[in-house]
Amino acid sequence: MRNMKREVIFRILEVLIIAIWIFPLAWMVITSLKFENEVVTRSFTFLPQNPTLHNYQEAFGSTYILQWLLNSLIISAVTMAGTFVLDAPIAYAFAKIRFPGRNILFWIVMAGMMVPFQVLIVPLYLQFNSYGIINTLTAAILPRLAMPIGIFILRQFYEGIPDALEEAAFIDGAGRLRTFVQIIMPLGKAAATTVIILAFINAWNDFLWPLIAISDSVNYTITVGIANFQGTHGTEYAMIMAGAVIASLPELVFFLIFRRKIIDGIAMTGIKG
Amino acid sequence: MAIPGNKDIRDGILFSLPFMIVFALFMIYPLIFGLYISFFKWDILGTPSFLGLQNYADLLADEKFWSSLWHTVQFVLMTTPVLLVLGFLMALLVTSKSPLRGIMETCFFVPYIFSMTVVATLWAWIMQKDFGIINQVLNILGRDGVSWLTSEKNAMWSISVATYWWTAGFNMVLFTAGIKQISKEIYESATVDGAGMLQQVIHITIPLLKPTTILCLILQIIASFNVFGQVYVMTGGGPAGSTRVLVQYIYETGFNYFRMGYSAAMSYVLFVIIMAVSVLQYVFLGRRED
Amino acid sequence: MRKRLIAIIALVVAGAMLFASAAPEKSAGKEGPIELKFWSLFTGGDGEFFNAMIDEFNASQDEIHMTNDMVRFDDYYTRLTTALAAGTAPDVIVLHQARLINYVPSGVLLPLDDYVSEEMLSDFQTAPLEACRMDGNLYAIPFDVHPIVMYSNKALLDAAGVTEIPETAEEFLAAAKAVKEATGEWGSLIDNTTGTYKAYTLTRLFVSLVNQQGGSMLTEDLSAAAFNNEYGYNALVGLQMLVNEAGVNPNELDYDAAMNMFKLGEGAFYFNGVWATGTLEQTDGLEFVASPLPPFMGKSAAWTDSHTFAIPVQKNQDPVKVEAAIKFIDWMTENAHLWAKAGNIPTRTSVLEGEEFNALPYRADYAAAVSSVIANPPTAAWGEIYETLSDLLESAVTHNEDPQTALDGMEATVNEIISHY
Repeated sequence: MRNMKREVIFRILEVLIIAIWIFPLAWMVITSLKFENEVVTRSFTFLPQNPTLHNYQEAFGSTYILQWLLNSLIISAVTMAGTFVLDAPIAYAFAKIRFPGRNILFWIVMAGMMVPFQVLIVPLYLQFNSYGIINTLTAAILPRLAMPIGIFILRQFYEGIPDALEEAAFIDGAGRLRTFVQIIMPLGKAAATTVIILAFINAWNDFLWPLIAISDSVNYTITVGIANFQGTHGTEYAMIMAGAVIASLPELVFFLIFRRKIIDGIAMTGIKG
Repeated sequence: MAIPGNKDIRDGILFSLPFMIVFALFMIYPLIFGLYISFFKWDILGTPSFLGLQNYADLLADEKFWSSLWHTVQFVLMTTPVLLVLGFLMALLVTSKSPLRGIMETCFFVPYIFSMTVVATLWAWIMQKDFGIINQVLNILGRDGVSWLTSEKNAMWSISVATYWWTAGFNMVLFTAGIKQISKEIYESATVDGAGMLQQVIHITIPLLKPTTILCLILQIIASFNVFGQVYVMTGGGPAGSTRVLVQYIYETGFNYFRMGYSAAMSYVLFVIIMAVSVLQYVFLGRRED
Repeated sequence: MRKRLIAIIALVVAGAMLFASAAPEKSAGKEGPIELKFWSLFTGGDGEFFNAMIDEFNASQDEIHMTNDMVRFDDYYTRLTTALAAGTAPDVIVLHQARLINYVPSGVLLPLDDYVSEEMLSDFQTAPLEACRMDGNLYAIPFDVHPIVMYSNKALLDAAGVTEIPETAEEFLAAAKAVKEATGEWGSLIDNTTGTYKAYTLTRLFVSLVNQQGGSMLTEDLSAAAFNNEYGYNALVGLQMLVNEAGVNPNELDYDAAMNMFKLGEGAFYFNGVWATGTLEQTDGLEFVASPLPPFMGKSAAWTDSHTFAIPVQKNQDPVKVEAAIKFIDWMTENAHLWAKAGNIPTRTSVLEGEEFNALPYRADYAAAVSSVIANPPTAAWGEIYETLSDLLESAVTHNEDPQTALDGMEATVNEIISHY
């Protein structure tokens, strides 16, 4: 009986915690459904008195928000694919191939993880400018591909694959490449998923670099576009929240579809820490 | 790994090459170029003039540099412990036998996927002094609104709260993974010995989670040292520059005042600090492990 | 799961490619009008009026098509400067007059003397036009002048029995106190804390008050701060007093809050640039008067800046585009009565004397006040000084710091900034 009571109290507490944690998101949606004069007012009401989609119409009508979403999707998708194609082979090399200089190379690459991105902005800008790719989506993508976090995760995983599996393949006459593609890569599927998901999230959320690298508002990413919302319409909170909802929706859908993969993937980075 | 006709060198190079090219082009080259810039006075439009180490010397005497560095350290100290504890507590809830654990996991994690801009504007709105919901509710309760973002004693904490909400879920996931790795038998035998839930957490879970904790700590400190977006959007470094963090100062000198060399010099100092902190942690915390 | 992931990626990439390949075709086609690109930083109330003007310009003729790209104020100069360095700047840009000094010496702006007609120039007011001239060359065309002004809430003043708009510091304080006592609302709404923007209003008022007493911010040769004296002291104490001893101005008030509170009728006096006029006029139920900044501390003087149009130097400058850009600038300045709807003061005599402009309330007063505007110190350091002073004044006012100590600190900081340029 006492246990029962305890259980109930725990459940109530848990529901409360969930409610508190989710509340900011609910508030974002609620605000976005109000008219501005209902938002900036002393007579506070929790729910919208005349719910309206006005802010959404404005957002879609007066900005390039759809284009921004598309840009973000392109950038994130290409970054995802590119990261995997570049990171997996070198991670494999670090994990399994004994070549001279491997450790030094590995630490150089890992040191790249600690570089504050601000250090790179000016040089990158000038560099990309000389290639003539400033203000293109390509400019937003390339620096992301040099981020080594994926290598770290993949290498950890590949290291855990028993050598015996590879040896068997070699004895069967398979070369390095075939072993990698047919044995290592399929086994490392989970790690690979993590890496590309992280690449997606990071690319989607990137702010500073696209802010500087992309100058035409048609080419903005959604993250940069939303930050600009504040300006175009003064500080109109209802409008800004509508923009935030639009910007977050694709990510939310992405998350809900791959929820398990994403969480398990991040969890993997911690194992063997 | 032995392979017939040992081609390790060739394979090592071939497999590393694609990434290393990209890495050299978009990481190493700009890093060296940035270092080069840090020896110059340059407004990006005109011709650079060589200063030698002057920028680094100026930096030592620059009060704003030190205060920004201090604000960054403040932020690291305000966020890191709380985020670790919060992530750990969440992980305990998520690995409990509660029927709500799946929902909790999703809810706790979901803020992490939102972009910094969204999170920061959302919290800036929630904490807005006159019309934000927290103060509106306080008013209804007959209390005066609080200057969450516009008073020096609250602003950094308010930014921290938004950060807790945003990233605690990430640490939760790491801790959850760690907890799940601890074998059930240890708990079972502890239960047999009559250890309560709390005792089990203190004597089993926490000590066995040490590797996870170290990983979280290192990741968290690196992330917190690099803080910029939340501050930039929520307070703009205010009030009166009391939340201006180092990355923001780097950004401002570089991209508002176009003192590129000075900005580059400061970013190198930040780089060295982050590197040193990480290495120290690795050496001190990692060593004792073995 | 993996298949689904791959399918989605493939779909997105395919869609992206399709879209990307379809996009460039839009800008092709030689027959059409000359396409010009333009960057502006008009936000909030201003932005609305500006966009309407661009639309009207495009509709008024079919020779030139102007595309306007709005950038948030905070990021505008960052983007502009990087683009100028990269040679990717658009055909026409907006620049604050105070910022010209940061760009002209590097040769990134096109001297306009050869492109504009004498006839057009003769229509401009001398002071704002001359401010765009450096070393004898004209680098920009002034679009407006926007000094700081004072807005007063009629209803609150009536309720407190204040019949005259205050002219001196004493009258102002008395009126503010009267309002506070009679209505319980705030006497003045001077923002003093960083929010979306820094506490620029404090700096603008400080600059104005120092000049009203006959002082100036920097020495004549621009090599050092010149406000650490009686003038600066009086100005600072005046601003501190409103918030602290007198308690007629809220503490920890940011720019957006000040604007919103004035709109809601929660304060009698509000200080902002003329650009707020249009927005306030659109606010339902707000009855207000706008007047040039009163000579609180002696003579009339008000902080001001000016939006100007400039043409960036391009790698391959197309004379056709330059000509089109000049036509655009000509049209915009000639029709600046539309811009005056936002509150900004036009720069061309024909507009200032025109019917449309004079039909708008307050604007004629503003125009008269232009004679007492303060020129920004022509040094590249001014941008950083201005921003930094906003932080220091914020701290001095909100914490009620000892004024002399605060001024000493401000002077030292300003001198240090100057030494870096």
